[in-house]
Amino acid sequence: MIDEGTQPRINTDQHRYKNRLSRPSLIRVYLCSSVVKIFLAFTCAIGTASELDITKERDSFGFLKPVPVNINGFTGETDSVLKQDLIFMGVVHVPIEEAKYLVSGNTSNGRLEGRLVTKATKEQRFGRAYTGGSLRAQTHRFADDVANAVTGLPGIAQKKITFKVESGLAQSEAYIADYDGYNARGVTQDHSIVAAPTWADPSTLVYGSYKMGQIYIYSHNLPTGSRKAVSHYPGANMSPAISPDGKRIAMILGKGGNPDLYVRDVDGDNLVQLTHTREAESSPCWSPDGRSICFVSRERGPASLFIMSALGGEMRRLNTAGVSNPTEPDWSPDGKWMAFTSQGRDFSICIVDVRGGPAITLVSGEDPSWAPNSRALIFCRGHDHAKVLSLLDVPTKHVKDIARIQESNSQPSWARR
Amino acid sequence: MKTEKMIQLAGVTLMLCVAAAGCARKPQNTTPLSGFRPGSMTDRPGGPITDTATAINSEGIPPSNLDFDKMSADRNTFRDQTVYFDFDKATVRPSEISKLERVASEMKSSYAGKALRIEGHCDERGTEEYNRSLGDKRAASVRETLVRLGMNPTMIQTISMGEEHPAVPGHDEAAWSKNRRGELVLLTPSGGTAQGGTQ
Repeated sequence: MIDEGTQPRINTDQHRYKNRLSRPSLIRVYLCSSVVKIFLAFTCAIGTASELDITKERDSFGFLKPVPVNINGFTGETDSVLKQDLIFMGVVHVPIEEAKYLVSGNTSNGRLEGRLVTKATKEQRFGRAYTGGSLRAQTHRFADDVANAVTGLPGIAQKKITFKVESGLAQSEAYIADYDGYNARGVTQDHSIVAAPTWADPSTLVYGSYKMGQIYIYSHNLPTGSRKAVSHYPGANMSPAISPDGKRIAMILGKGGNPDLYVRDVDGDNLVQLTHTREAESSPCWSPDGRSICFVSRERGPASLFIMSALGGEMRRLNTAGVSNPTEPDWSPDGKWMAFTSQGRDFSICIVDVRGGPAITLVSGEDPSWAPNSRALIFCRGHDHAKVLSLLDVPTKHVKDIARIQESNSQPSWARR
Repeated sequence: MKTEKMIQLAGVTLMLCVAAAGCARKPQNTTPLSGFRPGSMTDRPGGPITDTATAINSEGIPPSNLDFDKMSADRNTFRDQTVYFDFDKATVRPSEISKLERVASEMKSSYAGKALRIEGHCDERGTEEYNRSLGDKRAASVRETLVRLGMNPTMIQTISMGEEHPAVPGHDEAAWSKNRRGELVLLTPSGGTAQGGTQ
C-alpha cells in the first residue's frame, strides 16, 4: 500500500523493442536492419563508456553538471513530473540542439512507454513500457531509469520521505509521502508531539513521541501499523538515527543526567554511552559505512559538529569555518559531504567536505536530509509553526517547495533504502 | 544489559561511598563497556546524599525512576517561579536563584511528600532537535540547583518540551525571552505522598 515499487515492472529489452512505438524516424533508421542493429549495438557499447566519461562534466565541487536532455512526446502531469524528477537527479530539459540525450515516449491505456537515445550516436540506451500503479508512479520509475542511465547515480523519485506535521500548538504527527509530497498519509495518531521521524528500513519508521508524557523512541511498522517503544530509559529519549545496516540506533538520552550520545542495538542490547560531557549533545547521524557518527555538541561553547567512532573514542571537531552554530548534520550517502543547518541570524542550509574545507552556504532553511543520489536535499523553511518542506538540487541551488499539509511541516527524512 | 545493571549498581555503590565516607574508591567487580566511565551513571538516584557538592558527579544527576505520569499536576502553585534563561544558555542565572530557593523551601515544608516536574523550553531560534536537547539541559540545570538547595532528586522529573510549547507567540526578543524557560509543576501522588520522598 505504501510502496508502489512492488508493482511488476515490464522491461522491454532494447534489441527486442519493436517499432510499435510511434517515435522519431532517426530511431526507425537505427532499427531497420538486424545486422546493422547488432553492429551498432556493439560499437555503441564500446562508445558508451568513453562517452560517459566525457559527458560527466563536474563543477568545482565535484558535483556532476546537469546533463542536458530533450524531453519529447509527453503531456500534462507526466511531462511536468518527469521534468521535475530529473532536475533533482542532475538531468535538465533543454532545446534539442543543446541536448546530449533524447528522452521520448508516450502514455496510453494506463501505461507509459519511454526511451532514451544518445543523440550523437543515435544509439537507443533503453526502451521500456511501465505498467501498474498510477501514471505518476510510472513516471517516477521512468525518471529514475533515465537519470541512472545518464548520470550513473541512483534514482530518487521512488523513495519516500517522512516528516513531522504540526496541526496546532504542541500537536504533531509523523507522516510519509512520495518525495515530492504526493500520496501523503499520517502514520501516528498520538495527539501529542511526535518528533524527528526517520527510516529504519523501507517499511519501518523510528521517531520520538511524548504520548506517554516523557519523550520515548518508538519503532513503527508501516504495513501492519504495530509499534513498540525501543528506548524508554528514565529521562529524555530523543533524536534517533538508525545505522545503515539497520542494526544499531544512535540517540540522545538523558539517563545520565545530561543529554548525551548513546549507541545501542535496535533490539535493546549493548548500550554504549559515547559522550560524557556536561553540555547537551543532539542530532546524531551515521556515516554511510556505519563506522562513525556525526553529532552536535555544546561542549566547547556554541554548537559545533563532532565526529567520533560509533564504538566510542575521541570527539573530533568538524571544521565549519565561515558559518556559525552548525546543527542537524546529515552525512551524504556517498560519504563526501556533511549537510547541516547554520543557526545564524536566520537558518541556512550548508554543506562541508567531510575531509575538511570551507563550509558552503546554499539557501535559507533548516534540517536538511540527503536523497539517495547525494545530490538533492529535502529541508524545511519558514517561521516556526508555519514551515514548508522544500527540495534542493545542491549544485544548481534549484529549490522547489512541496505542498504543505496542515499548519507546519518540518524534520524531513529521505528513505535511502 | 546485565553488564549495564552491574555498572549501575556499582555507580550507586560509589555514590553512597562518596557521600557516607567522603572518600572515592573505584567500584569493584565491574566490567567497563568501551567508551564508558565506571560509576558515571546510575538509574537509581536518591538515597542519603549529604554532601551534594561531591555526590553530583561530573555529568549531572541521573533521572528519577518514579512513575510521575500517575501524579496529578498543578501548574499554578509555582507559576511565578518560572525560571528564565539567556539566549542559547542552559545555566541558571543568579537572578533566578531566589525563585528556586523559595521552591526548595516550600517543597520541604508545605508540600513535603509531593513531587516536582521541571519542563525545559526554548525560543524558536534553534533547530528543533537542538532545542529539544537544550531544553533537556535547562531542565537538568534547574533540577541540579534544587538538589543543591536540599531537594531529593528522586522527587524531581525533568521533561524537555523543546521549542514546541512557547509561552508567548511572536518572533522578537520580547517573546523569545519569555519562551526560554523552565516551568515548575507541582505533582501530587494519588496517595498524597510518594515513596522515596523521605528526605
